Amino acid sequence: MKKYLQVLKITFQQEFAYRLNFIMWRVRNVMQVFLLFFLWESVFSDPSRQFFGYDRTKMITYVFGILVIKAVVFSSRTIELSRIISDGTLAMYLLKPINFFKYWFTADVASKILNLSFSLVETTLLFIILKPELYFQSNPIYLLLFFISLIIAVLLFFAIVFLINMFSFWAPEAGWALPFLFIVIIGDFLSGSVFPLDIFSKSAQNIFYSLPFPYLVFFPLQVYLAKLSIPIVINGMFISLGWLIVLWFSMKIVWEKGMKKFSSEGI
Amino acid sequence: MKKKIKKYFKVWWLLSKNSFMSMLSNRLGSFFFLLGKLIRFFIYLFFIIILLKGTNSLAGYNLNQTVFFYLTFNLIDIISQFLFREVYRFRPQIVEGTFDLVLSKPINALFRSLLGGADVLDFFTIPPLIIALIYVSVSLNPNFFSIILYILLVFNGLVISAAFHIFVLSLGIVTLEVDHTVLIYRDLSNLGKFPIDIYKEPLKGFLTFIIPVGTMMTFPAKALMNLVDFKAVIISFFIGGMFLFLAIKFWNFALTKYSSASS
Repeated sequence: MKKYLQVLKITFQQEFAYRLNFIMWRVRNVMQVFLLFFLWESVFSDPSRQFFGYDRTKMITYVFGILVIKAVVFSSRTIELSRIISDGTLAMYLLKPINFFKYWFTADVASKILNLSFSLVETTLLFIILKPELYFQSNPIYLLLFFISLIIAVLLFFAIVFLINMFSFWAPEAGWALPFLFIVIIGDFLSGSVFPLDIFSKSAQNIFYSLPFPYLVFFPLQVYLAKLSIPIVINGMFISLGWLIVLWFSMKIVWEKGMKKFSSEGI
Repeated sequence: MKKKIKKYFKVWWLLSKNSFMSMLSNRLGSFFFLLGKLIRFFIYLFFIIILLKGTNSLAGYNLNQTVFFYLTFNLIDIISQFLFREVYRFRPQIVEGTFDLVLSKPINALFRSLLGGADVLDFFTIPPLIIALIYVSVSLNPNFFSIILYILLVFNGLVISAAFHIFVLSLGIVTLEVDHTVLIYRDLSNLGKFPIDIYKEPLKGFLTFIIPVGTMMTFPAKALMNLVDFKAVIISFFIGGMFLFLAIKFWNFALTKYSSASS
């Protein structure tokens, strides 16, 4: 346990060593919220109107929720995995008396703590500047389910990122491309980070719900906003847990296969 | 002058060819990159269509108009990425000190850093985008004058985009930070994905005059719809010229701060 606490500390120090990078990254997140906030403000210019099952308050809460949930779920150091496989530095990690999976998960936790702290400050500042009407969930059952769905989302994202980055074992020169396609593009849209997925037709939503991506951002936010009944939430949690088990086992299998392929030739 | 332009075009062609060869050496990566861009483009387009079908209008614009704003944004954005891709590769030159090699060559260092490596992947997406723009614009009933104004304002948008990229390069020399700055520029320009009329004052004014995303992305489309007055057009060109002038001044200043520290 002690050594993972050290990893946590080192990751904090690394993040602070590149302060400008970190601040720029946070500025980018805030800017994305600006676009979404004003887009939906414009759509809900008449506060009494409802679109896609949202009123103005719930939609703006969704936008603010994206900022916080993305900080918790999408903040990750594991995205570096592709690079360390490609350039061969993975060998240095393998020599260390530490569990590789736990190492990266701990590094992710450090990144998430830091990003969450900043996102809370940003949300407060944006709240003061933009003065939006927000929806605050007070039902303890929904709050509990929201936190559980958030924990599942964190584990799911770790498994997805780990799995996709291992593509570098087989195509080191294009190792960055698959994570770019799945995480930056598909993951961003299908997770509901750009717009809520329930603006699509019911049949499209059913397809989305059978994939792991909506459980990263969209599903936790639906739970927080109490837009789903409790049985549907429980059902969604079972699906996401099913995905988590499948991805977790796939991650282990692909890792073992990747290890047989790895030659550390970049060093 | 004609000889000089010919020489620079030849150099640009050679550098772009090299860039294309380098892209071909990583076909799989390039394929995923292009696929990702296309997916992002179509998902956003799909989102706009669904959104406008539900709401009928966005800040007073109908579906065709909003799609036209989005396509114009993409045109300027993609041409900028096609032309100025080298900016994304600038940081290692400064950090490692290899920028010395650019400075010592008998060619303008700004030209080399800004335009030295066109992204052919982006080029492939330009013709279908122009066809889509023509197709959507038909429903907006433009006249000859508004089409000419649209083309001129798109060009003005590209001038502003060039100025932004020069600012990023200059800031890179002074602070060694390029990667995030250029992405912040991308996020800022993304605010022009929708007409800037969706933003409230003072942000709207800020995006029109200070960080002229509106002038760059929204004004051309508005001109085609006959929704801008003559005064706004003149101001747009003034902003474009002013921005480029300031960017070049900043570049010249930044060059005096280059220390070639790592070499």
